[in-house]
Amino acid sequence: MTTSNSIQPLLRIKDIRRRFMLGETAIDALHGVSLDIHASEFLAVWGPSGSGKSTLMNIIGLIDTPTAGEVWFDGQDTHTLKDDAVTDFRGRKIGFVFQSFNLVPVLSALENVMLPLQIQGVAEVSARERAAQALLDVGLERFKSQRPDRLSGGQRQRVAIARALVVSPRLIIADEPTANLDSENSKMIIDLMRQMNRSKGVTFVFTTHDPRLLEHVDRKVLLRDGLIVQDEVTNV
Amino acid sequence: MYKFKLGNTFKLAFRGLSRNRRRSMVTLLTIALGFSAIALFAGYTHNIYSGMSRGAIHGEMLGHLTLSKPGMRKEGRLYPERYLLNAGEVNKISELLRNEAHVKLIAPRLAFSGLLSNGRASTIFLAEGIEPSALQKLQEGIFSEREIRRGTFSNMLKKLDPLHTEVVELSGGLVELLHIEKQGLAAMLVNTMSGQANALDVTLGGTFDTGNAGTNDKFALVSLALAQNLYDAAGHADRLTVLLDDVAQTEPMRKQIQARLHEAGFDLEIKSWNELSSFYNQVHGMFDMIFGFIFLIVLTVVVMSVANSMGMTVIERTREIGTLRAIGLRRAGVVRIFTTESFLLTLLGCGAGLLITILVRYGINVADISYVPPNSVSPTPLLVDLDVRRIVFTFVLMGIVATLAAYLPARRAANKLIIDALGHI
Repeated sequence: MTTSNSIQPLLRIKDIRRRFMLGETAIDALHGVSLDIHASEFLAVWGPSGSGKSTLMNIIGLIDTPTAGEVWFDGQDTHTLKDDAVTDFRGRKIGFVFQSFNLVPVLSALENVMLPLQIQGVAEVSARERAAQALLDVGLERFKSQRPDRLSGGQRQRVAIARALVVSPRLIIADEPTANLDSENSKMIIDLMRQMNRSKGVTFVFTTHDPRLLEHVDRKVLLRDGLIVQDEVTNV
Repeated sequence: MYKFKLGNTFKLAFRGLSRNRRRSMVTLLTIALGFSAIALFAGYTHNIYSGMSRGAIHGEMLGHLTLSKPGMRKEGRLYPERYLLNAGEVNKISELLRNEAHVKLIAPRLAFSGLLSNGRASTIFLAEGIEPSALQKLQEGIFSEREIRRGTFSNMLKKLDPLHTEVVELSGGLVELLHIEKQGLAAMLVNTMSGQANALDVTLGGTFDTGNAGTNDKFALVSLALAQNLYDAAGHADRLTVLLDDVAQTEPMRKQIQARLHEAGFDLEIKSWNELSSFYNQVHGMFDMIFGFIFLIVLTVVVMSVANSMGMTVIERTREIGTLRAIGLRRAGVVRIFTTESFLLTLLGCGAGLLITILVRYGINVADISYVPPNSVSPTPLLVDLDVRRIVFTFVLMGIVATLAAYLPARRAANKLIIDALGHI
């Protein structure tokens, strides 16, 4: 089933193309992808390796720019923004959860979660309170003083989710968030993301190649050879 | 507007130093040892300069300023009557300057040369005529407190008898050459101002060392009255030596005195002590060149070490840079974190270097090491000062250069595409 929604989408991408140069050879990762993502959606992009999932996520997350096409986020044509403006925009509106957690190893869990707030210039006391609340939300308040190397993989990813949530973003991008976790932790992370999506209304877009996790999403976008071949609403 | 606060930048930079502790320690030690090498050598040369300036002003008795008629130094020996200051001029100038601020002493001087004989053999001498009281005042401050405590160089002190103008002081080498006993007689044969031969018997009152092997067998010190008598130039002087209360006042006072003399109608040449002491200038120039050479080598080693360390740090943390950029840190913020890290490393290195400097300096100064410098007749203690001016200069320059050394790799990393940085292994 293909979605259609008349209200203003949170994110609209139109006819996105992305070409990479590998030496002299041009590689087209996306061949003209269009997609609308609405607020509070819990969406998975899936497909085989090399289908363009990560490229699409990078463009949606405004950390890469398309070779052609438009990206509208929250009514803003992101193409018109300069680098510092895109960076600030991204910092305020988008959170990231990475496959390898990407926590700063010399900072404690709490300090890692505070970091996006500090980058935005939020006062120390307020940043500390909000970060502590975010850690509480992901069930890690007892581990706030621990550095990442003292945490398990699942705990690290929960810290990463707390870091993404702490700025109250409109959208959280998670590129293969469970790829480095065992099945139990993978399910726990997906459940946590789902819970945050429902309780806080945050839009989640994540990629996965694990078909078991697709059972938990309410929209699945299948990508193959740089094209969306299926966009299905499952309404879990 | 850039919002990531400086305090947070410092925290992140400081924590960054603890990631690869061994590398940070090696770089820190390189900075510390380089800094202390520069600071110790600067302190050593500072001590030499300070000792030599005291030696020139009080030991060579140049005072701070020397007033003479223009051309006196070049042609005074050929045409003394043209270049000597007469009694009237000496008195007027002395009167004019006596009450000037910072002026401690105005001493008329008369230099001459001739033959010194013990009755059987003769040798040449260079003599300096000065009033005994002026000699005593001029030598005040010749020694540092440490030298006074230890009695170092006490053989360089000179003294003239104010009541017996025929009593002279001779340099140690001259006394040895002619085997003159203390209180023994000798004869001084000189040319007068008008070119006539003149001789007077003198009594040896004491000996001294000039500190210079080249002059220690030639130098004689006589009272001004005896010099004027021998030279047949009553009341005359070839120059006036001005002693100030502060060496830092040398240049300002030169200008002030020049103006006062000009107003009073005197056309005199004024030379400062460092212009007249060619030995001081030569040694200063040589040590400045060696210092510059050592400084450049050490700075190059330190900068290469910091650049290498920061270059590796930036490469290792490329993925983290990508993460920070993704969560909202601007490119400038990335550059600021790494340059701050480099600055902190330099700051800690220089701090450790200062500590090493203080400890080594203390060790050297209490070890009582001495050596005989080239062309010297007596040993000189090896002492190291704290040259604050050059220490601050070294710290500032190292800080700037080391920060710049981190700037380039940090900028390169900050300009990387975020997706490339995140994909960095």
